[in-house]
Amino acid sequence: MAVETPRTLAEMPTSAPRFVGRPVPRVEDPLLLTGRTEFIDNFTLPGMLHCAILRSPHPHARIRAVDTSEAEKLPGVVAVLTGADVKRWTQPTPTVPPGWGGHCLATDKARFVGEPVAAVAATSRYVAEDALELIVVDYEPLPAVVDAARALDPGSPLLFEEHGSNAMLQRVFTWGDVDGAFAGADRVLTDRFRWHRVGANPLETFGVVSQWDLVDGSLTCRGSFQSQFHMAIARALVLGLPSHKVRLISHPHGGSFGGKGGARGTDITALLSRKSGGRPVKWIEDRMEYLAGGASQAWDRHYEASLALKNDGTVTGFRVKLLDDLGATAEGWGAVSAAKPLAAFTGCYAIPTAQYDLTIVATNKLPGSPYRGMGPPPHNWVLEQMMDVAARELGIDPAEIRRRNYIPADQFPYTIASGNEYDSGNYEATLAAVLEMSDYSRLRAEQAEARQNGRWLGIGLVNTIEPGVFDWNAYAVVGQPGTGVPEGATVAIDLFGKLLVKVGFALEGQGQYTVISQVLADYFGVELADIRVVPQDTLSAPPHFGPGGSRLGVAITGAVLGAAELLRRKLVKVAAGLLQAPPEMVELMDGKLRLRGVPGAEMSIAQVAGAMLARSDLLPPDVDPNPEATYVWTAPGRTPADDQGRAKSYLTAANACHLVLVEVDIETGKVEILKYWIADDCGTRLNPANVEGMTQGGVAQGVGAALLEEYVYNEDGQLLTSTFMDYLLPSVYEVPMTEKRALVTPSPFTPLGAKGVGEAAMHTTPAAVMCAIQDALAPLGVRVREVPASPHRLWSLLKEARRS
Amino acid sequence: MPTRRRIRLTVNEQPYEAEVEPRTTLVDLLRGELGLTGTHVGCEHGVCGACTVLWNGRAVRSCIMLAVQADGGTITTVEGLGRDGELHPIQQAFLEEHGLQCGFCTPGFLMSIYELLERSPDPTDEEIKDTLGGHICRCTGYQQIVAAVRSAAAKLRSPAAGGYG
Repeated sequence: MAVETPRTLAEMPTSAPRFVGRPVPRVEDPLLLTGRTEFIDNFTLPGMLHCAILRSPHPHARIRAVDTSEAEKLPGVVAVLTGADVKRWTQPTPTVPPGWGGHCLATDKARFVGEPVAAVAATSRYVAEDALELIVVDYEPLPAVVDAARALDPGSPLLFEEHGSNAMLQRVFTWGDVDGAFAGADRVLTDRFRWHRVGANPLETFGVVSQWDLVDGSLTCRGSFQSQFHMAIARALVLGLPSHKVRLISHPHGGSFGGKGGARGTDITALLSRKSGGRPVKWIEDRMEYLAGGASQAWDRHYEASLALKNDGTVTGFRVKLLDDLGATAEGWGAVSAAKPLAAFTGCYAIPTAQYDLTIVATNKLPGSPYRGMGPPPHNWVLEQMMDVAARELGIDPAEIRRRNYIPADQFPYTIASGNEYDSGNYEATLAAVLEMSDYSRLRAEQAEARQNGRWLGIGLVNTIEPGVFDWNAYAVVGQPGTGVPEGATVAIDLFGKLLVKVGFALEGQGQYTVISQVLADYFGVELADIRVVPQDTLSAPPHFGPGGSRLGVAITGAVLGAAELLRRKLVKVAAGLLQAPPEMVELMDGKLRLRGVPGAEMSIAQVAGAMLARSDLLPPDVDPNPEATYVWTAPGRTPADDQGRAKSYLTAANACHLVLVEVDIETGKVEILKYWIADDCGTRLNPANVEGMTQGGVAQGVGAALLEEYVYNEDGQLLTSTFMDYLLPSVYEVPMTEKRALVTPSPFTPLGAKGVGEAAMHTTPAAVMCAIQDALAPLGVRVREVPASPHRLWSLLKEARRS
Repeated sequence: MPTRRRIRLTVNEQPYEAEVEPRTTLVDLLRGELGLTGTHVGCEHGVCGACTVLWNGRAVRSCIMLAVQADGGTITTVEGLGRDGELHPIQQAFLEEHGLQCGFCTPGFLMSIYELLERSPDPTDEEIKDTLGGHICRCTGYQQIVAAVRSAAAKLRSPAAGGYG
């Protein structure tokens, strides 16, 4: 039964909130700042071995034999694992779409460069890596397919022969009379776009310590798991263990952004532990392993998009044809990224009809994984770039064409063509804020003047939706079952009035323990220091998922407020007994259980909890004497997907409007970001400094995606970007310092009115920067259709334009 | 097996002697042998700066320096910054300005900023950029880190710095 929780700050049992809504310093920071947080590589167990992994140098090769005899003789080597072992001991990994996964080590053939082929457990990582050099693998190289377009050719090499094709999924989703909209349009605009592979790259790679108890038949894995629960159920299935014999313990981790991954490494270390007689085995992914073989790559996409347009700028239809190159398998949950755009397919606009022609193909590259934003960032770029194409076509200002198509502020909640419901918003207000901050008309004048002087300035004005609080139903179209994602918390008060909060996720960087502390400190009238959040493992935590899909800030607020409400009911009952009054006369306010209308008749929560724990003789006869409550929150009102994938999926719709000024050096193709303004509306801000940090971090990753980052494979399927010298991450030199303004349209559906905002500017910045570059170069006849807009790419386009 | 070599170091004001293989990196010595796990490894090829420590007062990347190269030197790691459970003013500034999110890259940043502020107590924007430019932070987008550097510099210049700086 869902518990009613405060929907606004005013409904909290406090006369003046002291913490929620304020940029309080984060409770997790002192340990992080002094280097004492227990990241997984800081953790050791007695007798622990170290794992190193041998990887395929071929993009596609049959494995004829693996000879480990010399490696096994090396002093310090305790166990060597090969495909034969994993074939005997494991099931293929579950995937969406189903049936496109392998084992943790390649068994019969390798499908991408960097795929694990064998692994060693030894007394040190140095020895384990020495041993890899003694393993001899007999490969029979096979023809590889690297280009997504060619993967569907009849004669293409097949990644999975049993499927008879490299098409993992082909479906057309139609929402409304899209054919009618295009037939009745004044103009139809079509363009093609290419988004190359980028990826998460948290500063900490994945790491794990696994221990298989051979007597108990149980497995314990400690690691940097983004969602320990999700990893645990998959491990039980893959390793053939009953679910209650698998215990995963998530350690604090150094960022994830969806790209922590680790399923293969967890299975490999588990099996090496099994083969080592139960000794614990640690594996820390190194950066080259991450880049070539980790959960590092996402969104390898070929788009064709069309708008049905009226001469007044109204968009009546939006068609997207996507060829999504998922790489060698579907093991990384990357297909979900092709499904998520349904949650905000038509962005901020009231476009009544739409169509999504989706093809996901397999190629001999690293399997795609989730990355912050989970698919919409490329989609948003396509939509927003098309809006600019339409604006140029009709001679309407980019701000004006957007304004004409917005979902009006009085029509929320609003169901978009692709089925999701937006909770609330005021897009005109967000746009107006950014135009005012940037002094937009002056900026346009500056741009015109600069052009006279041979400087090519561009303005990108982009607005996007950030779907918040993901639901499994959003991914039904690629084969993911389920509706509802539970998040639980247990709140307990001890004998001294201190609060203990048990949750199912570890620190990752978003500051959720601080948010939990703020909410509970205001609810129970205590200080932040009176609260301790203690993460639990998969066997001790209430049902949980953890961070992902911009959900946890909202979900954990719902969980702790639900638990707080259940706890309040218990305290009221006990206090009523102790104060000798009917329960309906007792209320919780500012940390006191007090008798309404009787000044001074009150007890502190410590006194009430203390009575529950130590004075059973005083308690009313029918009370539960445990000052602790657990609540599991799920998003209300979610619906299963219909035959066109339509569902109430993501609960919240934050929106942002970015305006960026760039300058393009047409001699070198180099882009410089000169100024950057952001207005964004994510409902109630539980901790504004956290939100600002998420936003600015999203800008950095967006700038990386737009200008710098790209995984490059050559035509033979070899990765050319396997270090940070080649895969370029944005530094302080490239990331603009932004001017930000907060607007607040609370969500009517969430605890305290907050919306999911963890992905933040990653939804918006790539599109904003790309639209700005296009705006700068449009007068030169250059069409920028490829991300990232690296200098060599722009230089080539400029050269071509000059030639014609 | 490679021959081990004996080296002597002063780490966070404590003398150490260790026997290491010549191929052992400085960061593996600090983390694995000395248990100073506050220094983190981000890329192992000298780009990200997460493993930065001070060696004879200079910020160095301990992932691409061999332990034997550091022989005879003085090393400061993040564990050597604060005193008696108190945060160093640079750490305090990071806390106040929300200069970190996941915190994995932070110890490396702190050490380089420490070196910068020793050298230049009132750094220019260019000096700050030059120092931070050698570090990758994937979470924050740097804006709050820049604010933290300015705040830390002001704290250390003030008479109330409490003997730090």
